[in-house]
Amino acid sequence: MDAHDTGSTVLDLKAARVSPELPMNEMFDPAGRPRPECSRVANYFLTMESERLAQLGDRAHLMFQQMGVTFNYYGDAEGAERIFPFDPVPRIIPSAIWEALEAGLIQRVRALNAFLADIYGEGAILHDGIVPRDLIIGSPQFRHGAAGIRPRNDLFVTVAGIDLVRGADGRFFVLEDNVRTPSGVSYVLQNRVIMRRLFPELLHALRVRSVEQYPADLLACLKDLAPRDIAEPVVAVLTPGQYNSAFFEHVFLSQQMGVELVEGRDLVCIDHKLFMRNVYGLKQVDVLYRRVDDDYLDPVTFRPDSLLGVAGLTAAIRAGNVAVANAIGTGVADDKAVFAYTPAMIRYYLGEAPLLPIVETYLLRDPDARETVLRDLGRYVIKPTGASGGYGVVIGPKASDAELGQVRARIMRDPGAYIAQPVVQLSVHPTLCPGVEGEPPWLQPRHVDLRPFVLMGARPRVLAGGLTRVALREGSLIVNSSQGGGSKDTWVLEDGCSEV
Amino acid sequence: MLRSIADHLFWAARYLERAQWRARLVDVNYNLLLEVPPRAADPWDPLLKITGEAESFGAHHSVADERSVVNFFTLDRDNTSSIRSCIERARTNLRAMRHQIPTELWLEVNRLYLDAIDWPADALALGSIPAFFAALRERFYTISGVVHNTMARNNAYDFVRVGTMLECADNVSRLLDVKYHYLLPRIEDVGGAADIRQWAALLRSASSLEVFWQIYGNAMRAERVVDVLLFNGEVPRSARFCADRIAGALERIAARHPADGPALGQEKLVEMLAGSSAESVMRTGLHEFLLAFQDECAALATRIARAYMPVD
Repeated sequence: MDAHDTGSTVLDLKAARVSPELPMNEMFDPAGRPRPECSRVANYFLTMESERLAQLGDRAHLMFQQMGVTFNYYGDAEGAERIFPFDPVPRIIPSAIWEALEAGLIQRVRALNAFLADIYGEGAILHDGIVPRDLIIGSPQFRHGAAGIRPRNDLFVTVAGIDLVRGADGRFFVLEDNVRTPSGVSYVLQNRVIMRRLFPELLHALRVRSVEQYPADLLACLKDLAPRDIAEPVVAVLTPGQYNSAFFEHVFLSQQMGVELVEGRDLVCIDHKLFMRNVYGLKQVDVLYRRVDDDYLDPVTFRPDSLLGVAGLTAAIRAGNVAVANAIGTGVADDKAVFAYTPAMIRYYLGEAPLLPIVETYLLRDPDARETVLRDLGRYVIKPTGASGGYGVVIGPKASDAELGQVRARIMRDPGAYIAQPVVQLSVHPTLCPGVEGEPPWLQPRHVDLRPFVLMGARPRVLAGGLTRVALREGSLIVNSSQGGGSKDTWVLEDGCSEV
Repeated sequence: MLRSIADHLFWAARYLERAQWRARLVDVNYNLLLEVPPRAADPWDPLLKITGEAESFGAHHSVADERSVVNFFTLDRDNTSSIRSCIERARTNLRAMRHQIPTELWLEVNRLYLDAIDWPADALALGSIPAFFAALRERFYTISGVVHNTMARNNAYDFVRVGTMLECADNVSRLLDVKYHYLLPRIEDVGGAADIRQWAALLRSASSLEVFWQIYGNAMRAERVVDVLLFNGEVPRSARFCADRIAGALERIAARHPADGPALGQEKLVEMLAGSSAESVMRTGLHEFLLAFQDECAALATRIARAYMPVD
């Protein structure tokens, strides 16, 4: 097997001049040679017997099935479980690059936390006109019901999932922040378990940074939030239930942390304290790791028809008897419009230059930005500010004229509801794809992004690597799990392992 | 343990036990009809009466024959107590809390579920009915084996035990109630081959035929059948056996309470049986006794739910 099998991109790059429009291949340089940090892995897969390569996908799938690592797609009428598609070719990140990312990510989340403490408190950044007041106060994610509530150490965000993309020049950019209920870390942990079974010799030889301490770290961060001064604070994970697409993760994390998994009906607030309903009576809860959105968290404060939360929880938090992670109201910090101001936030609160650049973001409420974007709509990605999960996103270059016309109309009707970003040619990575016309599976380049997970506790920590999401359809840039993406294991090499 | 977890375990156990009883009832009756020309016009009628589903069946089917009854009891998705539905419900209950049960147990129940959702819509497509039920029987035995071999003897196990045994007690008493009257012999049939086969079938529905032979030899008499299935505490499907196990499990659950466990009056169920006998009950009225027994089972279930499970 030779370099041909790693995908047409390699051949193109060998034959043609390097075009700046071509995405970066993370495993192979423009000349088609494996990048130094990837050489061992590249060689491993390039020299693998095609039969073994073909079986890898099935073996991994079977392992996931047996482990019950499943995922429900929204919109599937039967709520059938699917195995989250997994690609066995690992993505490598050398330690030097990782260290820079780590610093940038921690800086970012520190600024977001400062921002949240500010806008739910004094609002200095609004007074000083750095961020438009109406953008914040008018955002549906700004929770008036949470105004004045200060989490311990002002840690509004305990768990953050920051989506990164890599441009054609190899630089990482922040595409989006996720600071409400970011998910995916369970796949990171399960992927590593599978990879250890599939490629034990590779993992051992490369000295890949371990990820398995994440649940312990998460538990420590959660306990740090406890308002009661007791030796063993009681932590619980609140899940919307088994039909939620991320239920597996809720189960997995509660199990790994050794804490109770609860649904709304298992909880009750009495005297502004939160309790679990146990067979032998009530048990007080100190910290709730809630994987339920603000809207559904408390029928007294938010949606009254919600059965997923518990009545009076907001009051209990305000009374200082229970903490939730992430805090109520963090959604305003990962609003797509507010995103444009994040570099300014870093400068404002930390007095530092942002270490990680963001993808250029145009707020279409601004007439100049709107004019620029509408003049060349086909070149941009249009995102609605109220949505998440990739729905409602229109990718200009891939949209039909009719679709572009619809988007234009929507923007004209409600410009404040949209932002635009230039299309980033996400980097690509060799991915095991089904063979064509009866041929065995083979490696083809597919677009990837990266979601590292940041834990803010007494000591900020970033999970080594994170979830590499891969768009499985050829040419597709949509990596979201809810729309048919898959994942790869991400290997951050230990110091001094950049050349193997 | 969360009250909702107790609820899930209890009901998963009940649904699995219910599915097993349905499977045995259909299987035995099917085989019986192969051997014995039906005495009554509606040979499947007693089955519908045992499960209390005659009305529900009548709403969807006009004729009670082998095909429609097997469909109704085994495959029908609209019948909440069909074997398929019971398996589905058991699995749904376990899935909500699968991190708290042994992985092997989850995998075994889920495997059965994945097969059950693929069963055809019509009994005709099942292939050999006897083979189908034989295979199903093995799956239930496996699940039972996994429960007993992998679950720690804690509250989770005991709630499973209570659910299983309550469902079993309920089913064996209903089986006796209906079958007994159906089998109430005409003088000319007592001791006849058909009569004996019917009693044997009844015992087989409760997996207790060979146990009967061990105790009484191959000599069927109504009173003996009642004794084995109601009063003999050594027979695993007898009402007495179930009542003893229910009481034991509830005692253990209460004993684990940090303070005083609730008094649920589970002894009453045991006393009903310990304080009586087949001879006595058949003299005073089997049907009345069985009704009272079923009522007490239901009342106990309500008290258990109030004490340990979520109140809606």
